[in-house]
Amino acid sequence: MATAAGTIALTAGKPIADMATPAQDIPNDYQTPLTLADANRDIIRPISAPSWRFWFMITICLLGILAAAYAWSQQVRKGMGVTGINNPVGWGVYIVTFVFWVGIAHSGTLISAVLYLFRSGWRTTINRTAEAMTIFAVLTAGLFPLIHLGRVWYFYYLIPYPSDRLLWPNFRSPLVWDMFAIGTYFTISLVFWYVGLIPDLASLRDKFTGFKRKIYGIFALGWQGTVRDWSHYRRLYLYLAGIATPLVLSVHSVVSWDFAMGIVPGWHSTIFAPYFVAGAIFSGIALVITLMIPLRWAFGLERYINKYHFDNMAKLLLLTSFIVGYAYVMEYFIAWYSADPIEQESFRWRATGFYALPFWIMVFCNVIVPQSLWFKRTRTSIAALFMVSVLVNIGMWYERFVIIVTSIAHEYDPASWGVYVPSATEITILIGSFAWFFFWFLLFTKALPVISIAEVKEHIAHHGDLT
Amino acid sequence: MSGILAQYGSLRDTQRAIERLRAAGYHDLEVFSPIPAPGLEEALGITSSPVRRWAVIGGITGFATAVALTALTALAYPLVTQGKPIVSLPAYFIIMFELTILFSGLFAFFGLLYHTRKPARRLAAEYREAFSVDRFGILVISPADGAVAEQLVRETGAVEVEVTE
Repeated sequence: MATAAGTIALTAGKPIADMATPAQDIPNDYQTPLTLADANRDIIRPISAPSWRFWFMITICLLGILAAAYAWSQQVRKGMGVTGINNPVGWGVYIVTFVFWVGIAHSGTLISAVLYLFRSGWRTTINRTAEAMTIFAVLTAGLFPLIHLGRVWYFYYLIPYPSDRLLWPNFRSPLVWDMFAIGTYFTISLVFWYVGLIPDLASLRDKFTGFKRKIYGIFALGWQGTVRDWSHYRRLYLYLAGIATPLVLSVHSVVSWDFAMGIVPGWHSTIFAPYFVAGAIFSGIALVITLMIPLRWAFGLERYINKYHFDNMAKLLLLTSFIVGYAYVMEYFIAWYSADPIEQESFRWRATGFYALPFWIMVFCNVIVPQSLWFKRTRTSIAALFMVSVLVNIGMWYERFVIIVTSIAHEYDPASWGVYVPSATEITILIGSFAWFFFWFLLFTKALPVISIAEVKEHIAHHGDLT
Repeated sequence: MSGILAQYGSLRDTQRAIERLRAAGYHDLEVFSPIPAPGLEEALGITSSPVRRWAVIGGITGFATAVALTALTALAYPLVTQGKPIVSLPAYFIIMFELTILFSGLFAFFGLLYHTRKPARRLAAEYREAFSVDRFGILVISPADGAVAEQLVRETGAVEVEVTE
């Protein structure tokens, strides 16, 4: 039995750790190095009957989803008049939240694919959860174009299919690009996540008996870890990482072109693609930190997700904060340098007009707060990091709000200027989207290993421990 | 099939055992590992995986599909908008890029399933559950001289040796 094997000392008392010297940068407080069996046991342990706290949180999520479903049903019944969307601001909270969730989806593949190609060892224990976050964030984001559409039953117009009217989608439209980009991103992220899960599902299959064994066994596809299979597997993983890397960059670029292709002052800019990609990685990493902190506490995984990992994530947060901050400054520079009075007025109004508060919340949360990460004390303080990451998420939601709403509220003709305030329906659906996201995330934490078992074991086999 | 199944507790021992077995002429080996291990692949003489061909073929298929989808549908209903050409390559390139990646990833995944013969209905009789925890396993398939092979695996540090039917 797998459980019995866990107690057997490896190779007559010789730990696998003797194969490499562990990194000394951040010493850990543990007396004995981790073994493969430890990793197997510790990561599988949380997959057990959930406590009342879990059901309580699931209930809260379900209530949030129900509230949003009710709000949406009212919108379908009464029409878009129940939202604050009108002329001139036709894109409101729904599109803002769509961009927000697509952005959140970026860190998963960044961590799993890009950091894999760069051989960053610290991704090992966080990639699984980050990828799960990606999947659920895309699932959440995907709802918003449908909700925003109003008449949701016309969605199929976007799908290329041979209709009897011989009409096809307009492939010059950024909205069609967007559907292809997000569809591809979701599919490839799902495949990448699933491929990473296969060996772990085999571990789960071997650990459990009865019904659970059967279910995990089906999804493990009969994996038994022969070296021949691993050779194909490793190659596939590398290719998926290779193709997912340009995909990460492309998805938010395409989302940014939804805006940049329009001749709206504040939108029509060539910096939009890198600006959005950096912002997406920034917000995604922030949410990974926000989720990892309670997760490792709830599941007792402090040894696996430790200060070393948070320190590295915090550095990435600081870096992307700078890119985002640079983009904010550069937008103003370009507005000034363009000598275009309309562009200049758009940006003047953005910082001083009706939406000045969201603008300054954005600057404070995304540029000023992350400066605290220069200090190692902040980067290794879990409480401080948690606060920074939450503020960054708030700031990034406001960033999208500022970009989208202020630009169309204050276009060319003063006669068509106007402001937009979200309605209760929109706010309910926004809150519901968080409930929907956390609902899936909570189910994931109880059904699948939140850390990649095979990769952690691989790391231990080569480096002796996790740091 | 008859054979000798040896379990090892460390990657290094397993690798050394494979090298010794192959040097002694036992080439028909099945090796189980709880972790991806390039060292073991090397010891077994596995150099590359045909999965890469699937990825390339998938990528080409995806690109061609996107070219056809965008260009042919535009030509089927030629409507000039904003003075742009009917086949607007820069705009269509985005679709081509996305489908190249989509098909490449999916094909490579199906390549993995094909080459590893998954999904498999049942596990090999020689598979042990410890192989997904912390044990490495070497199955010497139908050894010419069973006693010598058994001696060899014991010498190389096997923690458990079984003779399978």
